[in-house]
Amino acid sequence: MATDFWASSHYKRWIIDRATLRQARTDDLQYVEDPEYLEFFSIFFANVIAKLGKKLNLRQRVIASATVFFRRFYLKNSYCETDPFIVIAACCYVAAKAEESPIHIKNMVAETRLFFSQPPYSVKSFPSDNSKLAEMEFYLVDDLECDLTIFHPYRTLLSLCKTESSSDLQAEAGEVAAGIDDGLRYWGSGDGQLELPDGALQLAWSIINDTYRSNLCVVYPPHLLAITALYLTLVLHSPTREMLQSHSSSAAQQVQSQLTEHQTSPRRSSRQASHASNTGKKSAQDFIGFFADLNVSMPLIATIAQEIISLYTLWDRYKEDCPPDNTARTSFQGQATQAGSPFSSTTHASRSGSLSGAGTPVTVAPEVPGDTQRYGGTGVVTPVILMQILARMRENRLSDLSHPASGRPVAVNKMLERTQAAG
Amino acid sequence: MHGEEWSHTILQTDPMRLYRAKRDQARRTVTSKYIILGFISSGTYGRVYKAQSVEPEGQIYAIKKFKPDKEGDVVTYTGISQSAIREIALNKEIVHENIVALKEVILEDKSIYMVFEFAEHDFLQVIHHHSQTLRIQIPSQFLKSLIYQLLNGLVYLHSTHILHRDLKPANILITASGVVKIGDLGLARLVHQPLQPLFAGDKVVVTIWYRAPELLMGAKHYNKAVDCWAVGCVIAELASLRPIFKGEEAKLDSKKNVPFQRDQLLKIFEVLGTPEEKDWPGVRDMPEYQNMKRLDPYQNRLSEWCQSRIRSQQGYELLRQLFAYDPDKRLTAKEALMHKWFQEDPRPTWNVFHYVAANQLPPQRRITQDEAPSMMGVPAHTAQTQAQTQTQIAQAHAHAQAQHLSQQSQANLSQQSKPGSAASFGSGSVGPGQGGYSGSQGSQTRKKARIS
Ligand SMILES: Nc1ncnc2c1ncn2[C@@H]1O[C@H](COP(=O)(O)OP(=O)(O)O)[C@@H](O)[C@H]1O
Ligand SMILES: [Mg+2]
Repeated sequence: MATDFWASSHYKRWIIDRATLRQARTDDLQYVEDPEYLEFFSIFFANVIAKLGKKLNLRQRVIASATVFFRRFYLKNSYCETDPFIVIAACCYVAAKAEESPIHIKNMVAETRLFFSQPPYSVKSFPSDNSKLAEMEFYLVDDLECDLTIFHPYRTLLSLCKTESSSDLQAEAGEVAAGIDDGLRYWGSGDGQLELPDGALQLAWSIINDTYRSNLCVVYPPHLLAITALYLTLVLHSPTREMLQSHSSSAAQQVQSQLTEHQTSPRRSSRQASHASNTGKKSAQDFIGFFADLNVSMPLIATIAQEIISLYTLWDRYKEDCPPDNTARTSFQGQATQAGSPFSSTTHASRSGSLSGAGTPVTVAPEVPGDTQRYGGTGVVTPVILMQILARMRENRLSDLSHPASGRPVAVNKMLERTQAAG
Repeated sequence: MHGEEWSHTILQTDPMRLYRAKRDQARRTVTSKYIILGFISSGTYGRVYKAQSVEPEGQIYAIKKFKPDKEGDVVTYTGISQSAIREIALNKEIVHENIVALKEVILEDKSIYMVFEFAEHDFLQVIHHHSQTLRIQIPSQFLKSLIYQLLNGLVYLHSTHILHRDLKPANILITASGVVKIGDLGLARLVHQPLQPLFAGDKVVVTIWYRAPELLMGAKHYNKAVDCWAVGCVIAELASLRPIFKGEEAKLDSKKNVPFQRDQLLKIFEVLGTPEEKDWPGVRDMPEYQNMKRLDPYQNRLSEWCQSRIRSQQGYELLRQLFAYDPDKRLTAKEALMHKWFQEDPRPTWNVFHYVAANQLPPQRRITQDEAPSMMGVPAHTAQTQAQTQTQIAQAHAHAQAQHLSQQSQANLSQQSKPGSAASFGSGSVGPGQGGYSGSQGSQTRKKARIS
């Protein structure tokens, strides 16, 4: 959110490759039967952060920062060796300070402890002592290498879209209008803005929220996530699709055809008033021009879009009693009459009482491409299951560490003895 | 098995114990990396030490130690202070020749240590050196170089959307090789998308003498222009060796409402005249507008003020434009940097001391041996008596500084409170609980300022 992205700690130190990401899970993989569970953890814990954030009245951006802190922490640590719940609390506590909207530690501890003690978490070990949270904050900030300024896709998104001002999103992004100037677009040369119909911006915003359910935020720079979210919105949001009527065979459409097989709706772009034109054809040029002007790799955007769709596919198998608000999926439910969820499969619709209750037929959604369906069909995963898996992982890890026979390095045992003695 | 029982207990009682053990083992302590040479200054939020790296080159650093954030009489540890988080978060993102460089941050034992490049001097010390020791004006070449580099650093800060919000002589440092370094980002804020209006977070910003009129008039939204006003004040102070608008701060009331800063505004009006609507259309909408109208009217006499002090038409022009009442009309840092004053002779130099005679150089920063027991190791060779003397000196200076800042009971203290009387090392005021000078307005202001 700050300063110059290309000179930022975010860009220089915290955009990491897949190999590093895999390596970070090495220990965890020893203790989990199916690596897929670790991906469910990503969804699960992000949801925990989002829900806790709601309880604490944190703004979206604070929640997003907390989530990024959490991801960064687990680039260096293992689930099986830590307690993700105290880590989550510390992430929220630091993020609130880093985003200049601090919460009092007493409230923080009380609310968090209560929230975590309830099902499905039923965490009994969360400390009632403020200093325990403060202590965790301290270690966390150290592990974060004191890099506390986070860039988020939200701002890029707003800079790309022309909106009917006074929206909640503007407020949420925090008085953007007051602060906007040269620092906003830190890549490319584009200065165009898309004019989006109602709901489309909200959808793109929600897609961005959803990206935090995965490791995308530590793999890709935020502006690429914003552009992808916008791209998915343009392609998949029906009213937007209708608005963007055109007949193009652009690179954008090629990308889009990778994403959806049955995409037939024509698109038309619209740019700022000065560029607005009467002919669909001209506008189509503008639409392509808009993305071209952004000067980002469209194949890369396509890749990221694939990953987001994979996330949704996985997410469809994850079931929570009350899904957190403000995800693209729920927002799709909200506007089911106008927009079919591009991501949801029948599972989604069937378990969403509100959707079927409303009796509105869901617009036919484009099919998810085959190669992202590798998760399809397998069992449903719930927080309770994940909590059990986590508990088992941690117990096994600890008992391994405390058995010399397990072949653990002596140093670790020594260390444990020391802490045992100290504790 | 013993192990399993134990692992069960550890998961229930202290699940992060193993993690902490690992981290503690890997951590390198401050004292294993630095030799503490002495104590420089105690501010509201911590203490600054001079230190030398144990590395072969043995470079000199300033280490700022933040006290743990405590609350109430019962010391409960509430974690890292907002101010430290700010200063760290912002400092980690910026690199510029004219901003004091952060080398590293060490977290150890509930304390945070920020390791900065060492700066031998600061603006307050230069002012003091000229007013007390040399008893001459700061030569215009020197003055211009100081301001030029200050603006150069500020242009960078503003380009990264950071408001400094506490520019004043004590926070603007100079290295031994003559490079200006803006320091103390403890009040700095990003202006991109604040989640709350800036006003909500910090009710009061900027030490009163350097506070822009829109802040004094109660504006809820403000911008980079507040820093530019402060630069104007700093220029004037360098030129006259005393603060130009040396008002007395009206205290926050018990409900932490910001009172009308009558005296400070009057000090400004005496020099710049009462603001007129044609110069500052927005003034009518300011919360304190009615209060302001009740003040006696004044004429602008800045030109007169500048005659003996700035001695350059362009210098006067620059000041006039930095002191524009309307924040939208005030010169930006960038415009100020491009100002004609810097293009006319004498030109600014990259070593601010370039033309300063050796016998006129400001003295080196004084260090003392820290008396607080909890502090980092002090060199053993220091005699106890010396330490005590130094302490007394420090307290005396702190006292002077307190007056310098507060201007309380000005009548009583009358002329003894000299402008810029704080010693070079004492520019951070003594905080509550140290030396008993809790009357230091400077630290109180900042403390309040940081309550959010
Ligand atoms: N890098 C440095 N080198 C030398 N002295 C410094 C340095 N940083 C700070 N100081 C000294 O310590 C004082 C207080 O530091 P500062 O960062 O302003 O903390 P505070 O928030 O307490 O005002 C400064 O006014 C200056 O005298
Ligand atoms: Mg200071």
